[in-house]
Amino acid sequence: MSLPSRWISQLFFLGSSLGAALLLGRWFGSVGWWLVGGLALYLVYILRNLYVLDQMLCHGKHIPFQMRGLWAELFAKIEQLKTKSRSRKKRYQNLLREVRESTGALHEAGIILNSNSEIQWFNPAATRLIGLDYKTDIGQRIDNFLRHPDLVRSLEDPQESMLTIPSLKEERGQLAIQIIPYGKSQRLAIVRDITKELQSERTRRDFVANASHELRSPLTVISGYLEVLADDKGLPENWSIPISEMGRQAERMTRILRDLIELTKLDSQRQEGSIERVDVAKLLKLIAQEFSGKKSIAQIQLELHTDVSLLGSEVGLYSIFYNLIHNAVRFTPAEGEIICHWKLVDSGAEFSVQDSGIGIPEDMISRVTERFFRVDRGRSRELGGTGLGLAIVKHSLQIHEATLNIESETGEGSLFTCAFPKERVITQVEKL
Amino acid sequence: MEVAEFGQDVSHGFNDELERIRSSFLQMGGLVEEQFGHALKALTDADSELGLQVAKNDVNINQMEVAIDEECRRVLATKAPAAGDLRLIIATIKAITDLERIGDEAEKIGSLAAKLAVVERPRTNYRELRNLARHVKDMIHGALDAFARLDVQLALDIVKADEEVDLEYETIYRQSITFMMEDPRMISRVMDVTWTARALERIGDHSKNICEYVIFLVHGKDIRHSDLRNLQADVRDPVDNQEVMK
Repeated sequence: MSLPSRWISQLFFLGSSLGAALLLGRWFGSVGWWLVGGLALYLVYILRNLYVLDQMLCHGKHIPFQMRGLWAELFAKIEQLKTKSRSRKKRYQNLLREVRESTGALHEAGIILNSNSEIQWFNPAATRLIGLDYKTDIGQRIDNFLRHPDLVRSLEDPQESMLTIPSLKEERGQLAIQIIPYGKSQRLAIVRDITKELQSERTRRDFVANASHELRSPLTVISGYLEVLADDKGLPENWSIPISEMGRQAERMTRILRDLIELTKLDSQRQEGSIERVDVAKLLKLIAQEFSGKKSIAQIQLELHTDVSLLGSEVGLYSIFYNLIHNAVRFTPAEGEIICHWKLVDSGAEFSVQDSGIGIPEDMISRVTERFFRVDRGRSRELGGTGLGLAIVKHSLQIHEATLNIESETGEGSLFTCAFPKERVITQVEKL
Repeated sequence: MEVAEFGQDVSHGFNDELERIRSSFLQMGGLVEEQFGHALKALTDADSELGLQVAKNDVNINQMEVAIDEECRRVLATKAPAAGDLRLIIATIKAITDLERIGDEAEKIGSLAAKLAVVERPRTNYRELRNLARHVKDMIHGALDAFARLDVQLALDIVKADEEVDLEYETIYRQSITFMMEDPRMISRVMDVTWTARALERIGDHSKNICEYVIFLVHGKDIRHSDLRNLQADVRDPVDNQEVMK
C-alpha cells in the first residue's frame, strides 16, 4: 500500500517545517524552543483549517481561504458530496411528488396500516370516499372510523381479505374493501366505490329476468297452437314436418327461458334460501331413474361409496346433479358409459361424473361454464341443450361453497368433480 | 393532535389500554350502527325477517356493553387515572349506556318494522319516517365520529341537529293523531308508526348525549341542560383549550 500523493506532500510539509526549525535552532541556539515554535505554528495552521471546516459544515458559511494539498482536496471532496446529496434529494423529491400526485389521482382510496391497524398514510381519495382527515386521523385505528363489524372482524385476521360494506356518504352506496398484507406485518387497505357496478349488475340481471318472463307467455300461446295444429287430422301432408319441427324448437326455447330464469334466481341470492339435510344417495337414485326410461342413451352407473348427507338446498343440489348427468348423457354415445361416484375424501365429500364421451378440448375447459358457450356450435344445438346447464351448476355450487373441477381429453371422455367442504357433510351418526 | 395527549405522561402500556377501550367503544358503535341500518332496511323494504333478526341480535350489543363496562372499572380500580384519562373513562362509561339504549331502540324499530311489513302500506312508504330516520342515522354516525376524532365542533352541530329531529317527531305525532281521528280502522298501524317515530327520536336524544360526553371529554365541561347559544363561546374558551393541551 502506498501513500496517496496528498499525504506525502502533507508529511513533506510537516517534515520540512520541522527541519527548518531544527536548522534555525542550530543557528541561533535553543533548539527545543524553535521546535516547539514550529509545531505551534503547524497546530495553528491545522486549527485554522478546522475552523473553516466547522463554519462550512455547521453554519453553512464559506470563508475564502486558500487551501492547498490535502486540505484543498478534502474541501473539494466535501463540496462534491454536498452537490451529490443535493441532486439526490431533488431526485427523491421529484419521485415522491410524482408518487403523491399519481396516488392522488387514483379513484380508489389507499390506506397504509401498521400491525395495530393504525393509519399510517392515505391518499386524497380516502378523504373523498370515507372522509378521513389528515389532521386528526393519522395514527388512529382504522376501525375507529370504519366501524362496520365485518371490517373489524377481517382486520383481526392477518390474511388478505375482501369485503363489502355500506357507504358512509351515500344512502344506498356500497364500498368494496380489500386488505392486502405486505412487508413486516404492514397492510394496505384499498377502498373502492362499487355502487355503480352493483347497480349496472342489478340492471342487467333484472333485464334478463324480465325479458325471460315476458317472452314466456307468448311462447306458451305459440306452443299451444302448434300442438293443436300437429294433432289436426285435416292438416295438409306437406305441413306436418314444418309444424312438428316448429313445435320442437318452441319447446327448446321454453327450456332455455326456464334455465335463464333459474340462473338469474341463483344470481340474485348469494345465500341459499333454506338449509336442509339432503340425502345425496336417494337424490342420485331418483335422477338415475329419470334417465333410465330414455332410449338410446349411455348406461348410467351409480357408485355410492358412502351414505353421508349434505347440508344445502335440495332443489339446488338436484339441479347440480341433474345437469351434470344430463350433460354427460348428451355428449356420450349410446354404447358408452357414465359412472357417477359419491364418496368421502379428506377435504369433505366429492361427487363426480365420469363419461366416455367426446371430451372437451383443453383450451376450452375453462370456458364451458360460461353462459351459452358451446364447444362445437352446430353439434350441441342438435343435441338439444340450452347452453345454460353448466352455468347453473357453477352458480349452485358457489352457493354451496363447493368447487367444480373438470378434467377432459378429446375423444376419451370427461370427468366432472364437485368437491363439497367438510362443514357441509353430515355422517349418518350425528343427527340434526 | 389532541388524540395523542391522553395519558402521555403515563406508561406506554396504560396508553394502549385506554386506546383499546376507545376502540372497543367505537366497535360497539359500529355494531349499533349496523343494527340500526338493518332496522331501517327492514322498515323501508317491508322485510319482516330482517326486522326480527335485528330484534334477536341485540344481545351482542348488550354483551359488549358489559365487557367494556368491566374493562373501564378495572382500569379505574387498578390504574387510578387522572385528568384527561379519567375523563375518557367516565365519558366511555356514560356513552356505552346511551349506545346500548340506541341498540334497544333499534331492536324496537326492528320488531315494529316486522309488524308493519305484514299490513297494508301507505303510498308514500312512510316517507316521513324515512326522513326522520336519515337524520337520526347521520346523528349516530356523527356522534361516533366526534368521539373518534374528539371533534367538538361536530359534536356541537349534532347537539343542535337534535332540535330538528324533535321537531320532525312532533310533526309525525300530530299527523298520526289526525289519521287516527279520520279513520279508526288505521289506529293500530298508526300507533306502530308513532312508536317507531318515538324510538327514532329517542335515538336522536341518545346520540346527543354521546356528543355531550365528547365535549366533556375534551374540555372537562358539563354542558348538559345548558343553553345552546352560550355553548359556542364557552367551548371555544382559549384558557380551557390550553388546559387540555397540557
